[in-house]
Amino acid sequence: MKKSKQITYTEHKSLIRRYLQKDFTPYIVFFLPLTFLVIFLFWPMVTTLMRAFMGTGFKFSLETLGLSNFERFVTSSLYRRSLRNSFVIGLATVIFSLLVGVPMGYFVARVKIPFKSLLLSLGILPIIMPSFIGAFSWIILLGRQGVVRHFLNIIFSPLGITIPSIYGLFGIIFTMTLTYYPFVFLLSYGAFTSVNPLLEEAAMIMGSSRKRIIRTVTLPLVIPSMSAAALLVFIRSIGNFGIPAIIGGDQYVLPTLIYFRVTGFWDLNGAAAIATVNVIITGVALVLQKYVVSRREYETISASRSEYKLHDHWLVKLIAILYCLLILIVSLLPQFTIIVMSFFTQWHGLYPTGFTLENYLRIPRVSSSEIRNSLFLATTASLLTAVLGCIIAYITERRKPKGAVILDMAVMAPFILPGTVVSVALLAAFSGGPVIALGGTYTIIIISYMIRRTPYVFRSVVASLSQLSPTLEESSMISGANWIYTFRRVSLPLILPGILAGTILTFATLLQELSTTILLYGVRTRTVPIQIYGAVVDGKLGEASAMSVMLLVTVFIVVYAMNKFLGRSISSSFKLG
Amino acid sequence: MSASLSLTYKKVDKIFNKEGKDPVRALKEVSFTIEPGELFCLLGPSGCGKTTLLRCTAGLESISGGSIFYGEKNVTSIPPFRRNIGMVFQSFALYPHMNVYENVAYGLRVRKTPEAAVRKKVTEIMDLVGLPDVLKRNPSPTALSGGQQQRVAVARALVYDPEILLLDEPLANLDAKLRRHMRAEIRRIQKITKITTIFVTHDQEEAMAIGDRLAVLRDGIVEQIGTSNELYKNPNSAFVANFIGKMNFFYGSITAVQNKQIAVDIDSRVYTFPEETLAQRFTEQLAVGMKVLVGARPEHLYISKEKMENSIQGTVNIIQHLGQVIRYEVQCHMDVADKQMEIDMDDMVEGIGEGDEVYITLDEKSASVFSVEGER
Ligand SMILES: Nc1ncnc2c1ncn2[C@@H]1O[C@H](COP(=O)(O)OP(=O)(O)O)[C@@H](O)[C@H]1O
Ligand SMILES: [Mg+2]
Repeated sequence: MKKSKQITYTEHKSLIRRYLQKDFTPYIVFFLPLTFLVIFLFWPMVTTLMRAFMGTGFKFSLETLGLSNFERFVTSSLYRRSLRNSFVIGLATVIFSLLVGVPMGYFVARVKIPFKSLLLSLGILPIIMPSFIGAFSWIILLGRQGVVRHFLNIIFSPLGITIPSIYGLFGIIFTMTLTYYPFVFLLSYGAFTSVNPLLEEAAMIMGSSRKRIIRTVTLPLVIPSMSAAALLVFIRSIGNFGIPAIIGGDQYVLPTLIYFRVTGFWDLNGAAAIATVNVIITGVALVLQKYVVSRREYETISASRSEYKLHDHWLVKLIAILYCLLILIVSLLPQFTIIVMSFFTQWHGLYPTGFTLENYLRIPRVSSSEIRNSLFLATTASLLTAVLGCIIAYITERRKPKGAVILDMAVMAPFILPGTVVSVALLAAFSGGPVIALGGTYTIIIISYMIRRTPYVFRSVVASLSQLSPTLEESSMISGANWIYTFRRVSLPLILPGILAGTILTFATLLQELSTTILLYGVRTRTVPIQIYGAVVDGKLGEASAMSVMLLVTVFIVVYAMNKFLGRSISSSFKLG
Repeated sequence: MSASLSLTYKKVDKIFNKEGKDPVRALKEVSFTIEPGELFCLLGPSGCGKTTLLRCTAGLESISGGSIFYGEKNVTSIPPFRRNIGMVFQSFALYPHMNVYENVAYGLRVRKTPEAAVRKKVTEIMDLVGLPDVLKRNPSPTALSGGQQQRVAVARALVYDPEILLLDEPLANLDAKLRRHMRAEIRRIQKITKITTIFVTHDQEEAMAIGDRLAVLRDGIVEQIGTSNELYKNPNSAFVANFIGKMNFFYGSITAVQNKQIAVDIDSRVYTFPEETLAQRFTEQLAVGMKVLVGARPEHLYISKEKMENSIQGTVNIIQHLGQVIRYEVQCHMDVADKQMEIDMDDMVEGIGEGDEVYITLDEKSASVFSVEGER
């Protein structure tokens, strides 16, 4: 009797000792990002969903529960048209982006043409540059008094043809295609260069013609990449606010409808319902794409590879070069246009008039607080995003606790949430509420930026972590370092290039952020893109252009410097031979 | 320098994916003790659980059952960074962003050792591993040759006087000649530092050359533990016999058990063996009619052109000159042995060529009887 008691006592003691010796820091660190996500992502999303079903008022009560906010999609023609527009624009942009981007990807990957690396780096410019700047420069070119339209109309008027103005659906689709085709271009370029040429050679030996090979061998193998690109374009275009806001005219889409609901009526519940519909559409698209790809994923069986034989026929080369040049010129035309425009007061008809430097000279006077705000918000949010993204990436990739999958999904969720939806969710949860009132503060903007951009840093860090052999970290643990020390001295220095790349890219995109900020800014927290948007709406295209040029140059320098400084250290792998 | 510790495993179990779809039981009730200061070899074919046992010893994997003791201390639930051990990985795992000095000093920096002491210790240990000059240039480890990287990895694991040193196939990334040199070096360094060491390898020659004692691991089970000589002379199972050196096996069955002797019939020829040595090789009682394996080393079989008393018939497939010996590969009838016999003769046997019929003589004194259970 006595003996058994003693045993349980010692067992008890050793249990406690085990417990104390356990390393709890990972759990604490795991807890921090989770808390952040719960408060600023889950809770707002839940609130949004609840609000969507509430008729009026801020207080949640059962009586007001109902579908009245959704009924407008049936009763109101504005809602019906917006929904239809969003669909049409999303699908059309996907189709046109594929039509433009896939041939370009194929040409650059498989045809022997000069300046490939230049083509690749110029090709991504449209996605780095703010899309609403593209939109308003197309107004200059193809607006009611646009220069190109004017020019074309002079040519075509004898034939009785007039070019439609950029305002409306056509303009939105046109501008979005030119903004988003680089996703298709880059992803299909990647696919065309990575498909094992042996498979194609095998088909050729079996007597297939080149056309047949493309149709039966190459295309099926690159379809997964292309459907991924299509999804990306669809999500981006259906969530884009700037382009339809600037050149939509009287054509609304879901994001602009949300904006209209919030700023026009301060009807957060109505906006929440639209946001819900918007998210459902992107969600369905995501699931559909997964379904298509999972049925078409092919394993590459052969282990050996051979080099590509690039197309070398002069005619093919000529067509490829002309095609790529044409696309590049058209998609970079907006950048060029606003540079010209920024030095003039007006551009009606063929030539700009009223040369002036005033557009630039006034910037320090009228924009200094906006510039400060933009820099402050983008810097703070990027740094915080970097910390958050790093921790989550490290936990999910290395510690793999139970529930890491949830963290992973939670981080990636904002990837498919349009900017306006994120703002509505944050407003729904935190504006005027009794717990944390954040409306109109810097904090709410920073949080919205963090929520939206963490996926970028997360992805970037996960990618470099997966390159880093775990034995380096294990070896550090063996040497006596706990995991925080290990992270600081071993993991962090080795994944720093990945972190920096993700953070700098985040910074560059946040400088030009419009769709989230537009619903969250207050008098004190206006940013440069907001000011540009305001100038465009007021028709002051010269002033808008000058500020845009300033923004473009800044973004360009940041991204260029990143490539310059990190390019080598990223590519030089850290693996020991 | 800390006093050497023993290392004890008590019924250590490791199951991967315990709750998952297809759990893998990588270690099965592993129990044995490594003496203080011993250089112990863990030997076994690829996938038998050597790395797993080593990682469990280090605490990099938690164990599913049993316990591990360093000396008297139960370390089962202590995380690796509180165990004070050194480990050399197969890939060396040197930090590419630190120079050689910083790599070696890492464990001391973790322990907040004063700079002067760090310098002294690093210099000493680099002398010990035979790289005193490398510190002068102090390059990045990426700039070193494979052998040098290996020495740096050993230095890094030893510099903070760990209580246990773990080496996971440390020589597998080196070429054959360097491998032989480095294994002697590792043994030299271990004998100087007297740290209790486990050396993992799948190469029996390496294991026999380096280890004071070795354990043969198979499918997560320790098959036998002993010195190279014990394992070679007196293997417990057909598996160990054929893993430590080569052994040929004939199928036989017991025809009599009496007078502390057993009689075994191979292809209608009867051989007798002493019974006493066999107890440890069989889990069940020896009985008449039982199927057994009779094993003999290549140097303990003889071939001749003429039929001898008690000889077994076979056909020569291949004759190879291996320098000191001539190896005859002989195929017997499938009922007698399913694998080819490898028979080493000191000289060419006159009048025997490839394809010829020959007769194999089995020397009862140097042959051994094994259970069919633990077959190759
Ligand atoms: N992390 C793991 N998850 C699942 N199974 C594992 C894992 N690590 C090892 N195993 C399995 O455990 C067994 C032993 O592996 P290992 O210890 O690496 O063998 P060895 O080092 O002797 O070659 C193998 O069957 C292997 O597939
Ligand atoms: Mg191994």
